[in-house]
Amino acid sequence: MLTTSLITELASAGSDKIAWARRGMPVLQSIERRLVEAGTVRGKRIGVALVLEPKTANLALVLKHAGAHVSVFCQGASTKDEVVHALRAQGIEVFAEAGASAARDMELARLFLGTKPQILLDDGASIIRLAHREFPDLVATMLGAAEETTSGVRPLRAMHEDGALRIPVIAVNDSRVKYLFDNVYGTGQSCVMAFLDVTNLQLAGRDVLVIGYGWVGRGVAAHANAMGARVTVAELDPIKALQALHDGHSVDSVERAAPTTEVVFASTGIAGVVTSAHVLAMRDGAILCTAGGGDFELPMDYLRSLDASIEVRQHVREYTLPGGARIRVIADGDCINCAAGEGNPIEVMDLSLSLQAIAAEQLALEADRMAPGLYPISIEAERQVALERLRHEGATLEPMTDVLAAAIRSW
Amino acid sequence: MTQPSGQRGQVPGSADNQLDIDEGQARIEWVSRHSPVLNGFVRGTLADGALKGLRIAVVVHLEAKTAFLATILADAGAEVIVAGSNPRTTSGPVVAALRARGLAVVSEAGGDHRSWERELLAAADLQPQYIIDDGAELTIRMARLRPDLYARLKGVSEETTTGTARLHAMSAASRLPFAALTANDARCKHLFDNRYATGQTTLQAILRLTNRQIAGARLAVIGYGHVGRGIALYAKAMGASTRVVETDPVRALEAHMDGHRVGAAADMLPGASIVVAATGGMRAVGSREFEYLDDDVVLANAGHHDLEIDVEALAAQTNNQAEARAGVTSYHLAGRDLHVLSGGALVNIAGGSGHPVEIMDLTFAVQGLGVHHLATADLPPGVHIIPKKLDDAIAAARLASMGINLGENRPEQEDDVAGWIEGMPN
Repeated sequence: MLTTSLITELASAGSDKIAWARRGMPVLQSIERRLVEAGTVRGKRIGVALVLEPKTANLALVLKHAGAHVSVFCQGASTKDEVVHALRAQGIEVFAEAGASAARDMELARLFLGTKPQILLDDGASIIRLAHREFPDLVATMLGAAEETTSGVRPLRAMHEDGALRIPVIAVNDSRVKYLFDNVYGTGQSCVMAFLDVTNLQLAGRDVLVIGYGWVGRGVAAHANAMGARVTVAELDPIKALQALHDGHSVDSVERAAPTTEVVFASTGIAGVVTSAHVLAMRDGAILCTAGGGDFELPMDYLRSLDASIEVRQHVREYTLPGGARIRVIADGDCINCAAGEGNPIEVMDLSLSLQAIAAEQLALEADRMAPGLYPISIEAERQVALERLRHEGATLEPMTDVLAAAIRSW
Repeated sequence: MTQPSGQRGQVPGSADNQLDIDEGQARIEWVSRHSPVLNGFVRGTLADGALKGLRIAVVVHLEAKTAFLATILADAGAEVIVAGSNPRTTSGPVVAALRARGLAVVSEAGGDHRSWERELLAAADLQPQYIIDDGAELTIRMARLRPDLYARLKGVSEETTTGTARLHAMSAASRLPFAALTANDARCKHLFDNRYATGQTTLQAILRLTNRQIAGARLAVIGYGHVGRGIALYAKAMGASTRVVETDPVRALEAHMDGHRVGAAADMLPGASIVVAATGGMRAVGSREFEYLDDDVVLANAGHHDLEIDVEALAAQTNNQAEARAGVTSYHLAGRDLHVLSGGALVNIAGGSGHPVEIMDLTFAVQGLGVHHLATADLPPGVHIIPKKLDDAIAAARLASMGINLGENRPEQEDDVAGWIEGMPN
């Protein structure tokens, strides 16, 4: 057990980090002021199930300041102890233990749902799905949920098509204010910088293969290129591939690119995009990591079946292939920016978490008029988020005039 | 060689010591695998036995990359003496691994300025014949405190601009009785180390210390030398809006044509969200510049002196300062918060993991070959630059390691100035 003084110390360190993040979140602060004044989420039970670190902690605190009863869940692997204690010190119920086993995580998730949240803010839709599986009575009383990620929206859409989704869910990820920024600039920057931090190497002059040219892949490719890498993109969709070509990257299949690639960023969110055959074709010293998705994108089962593997550097494990080539995997194939960095930068999370706060408000106000299904964030709310950020950055928007409005409508 | 007494490290043979050795060896091995020039061209050149039995002191930041250079020299038969060039950057595991290989390491991790002074004298007392120096720190101490041993020095290869200036000054004062090489003047050093390595690692450190975003940031670089260029290049490429403060008109014009906004501090600093000092001088951000800064600005130093951001003046102007986060000190000044990274020390060294391995492969190739050149070329006393031929060979070796081969100019491609001269009337 932790001593009281250690808990106080952790809470204080966590509070400092939360306060630093808050400085970079002017939009969330403006929403907080509005929610406090309007009282729109006051008295609502809101469950926050996002990666628990200083930025998301600010969202929980904003909702609490606005009068909601907030409880928080996070898996052990993504939990920062100092943040847990800082939130508890503020009177928020936290169901998260750093380093908890998968079984313990499930137990905590069930306890979290035991607080009977009316609104769930989810990341990966795992809690929404758990609630549907095991807590049908709770689901029947829920107002709705909001989902943060691409990989969470996909199964929810499938659930809805099968008639299994029983609450309205706001797909925060589908907002332009989310995917045009968070996935491109946030994940792109944090994955590429985490690579440099972990390896102490350069990307300048390196052959880098980015698999998948969705929003994350674009961001990773752009930032790697900015740091001097020569980027090749592997992509299933011909239009996205053409776009990669126009962005100045080479386009090739994983199989053809494998022999010359020095660094692979898998950013598809799809299992098995890198196969054991690909790895066997790679050169000695090639480095594999995932950006945005997870270890399922890499042939980890095959690599782990090899006899020889050593940790050659913190966060870097090296597997020796039968032919003698040594292949390095960063962070055991887990998303490099969460496993070996501090996650996305603060500014971009200001946008994404502001959308979550707005989604919570939208559900609190309108859920009784929303049938089960997937909903977008309102366009007006998106505009407000972008405008607030622009204002903070000292940027001025071109004003609409009658003449321009007429010209736009003319035919 | 015997080990200096009074070590504070792990007890030799203990389990902890073995863990340290393993960790240090793993770090050095990682460097080795990304150092094709040192492993290939440099090892090959040193294999002629010219360094056999020579006592060479290596006095550079004592972490894995420096350690690898030391092992290359030792493998070539030299008796290597290793000392850190800064007490804060010495790595315990790396020290343990080098000792396990039989190198004479005089430095300990976790030392302070006083222990560091003692360590440098311990290095001097092991009577090096050649020094690979950083800031000429060991050279000037030997000249002053160990004159007899200094008189027997045969050569120095120096890493930095600061050390180069010191050696020139000593030479001008007739206090340099041996040949010194200035590695920083090699193109394979300053074109890469100062620009790409410092540029990359400065941005890495700023972003890691703050968790802030570079895309959309308004980043001002003060000074457009090699270091300033590298920072501005990478920041702009990652989506920052860049501005440059430079007093040299030619460099300022270059910055302008590189696509950065250019002007005086009074015009460029207001509105900046990140300010990086890279002048190599003092007080690039001082009392006057503080007035131009916005609330919530991040200040970082990538120059040479710890006072490029005048933290003394900041502390004098306000008592209201707090550690906002590890490595971030916030000064509250006239209604604004100014965030200074790493206490104003060099941000990429104090707040980062040092230069990328591949860059140090080039820099240390210059140093390793420099010592070989000193030992074989019989240079007269004074300050010298490594021959262009060696500089070129390092770059060619690196290109060849990546399978890149260059063509050669054919005679008919050459300018025909010789023909013109022949045809000129006498």
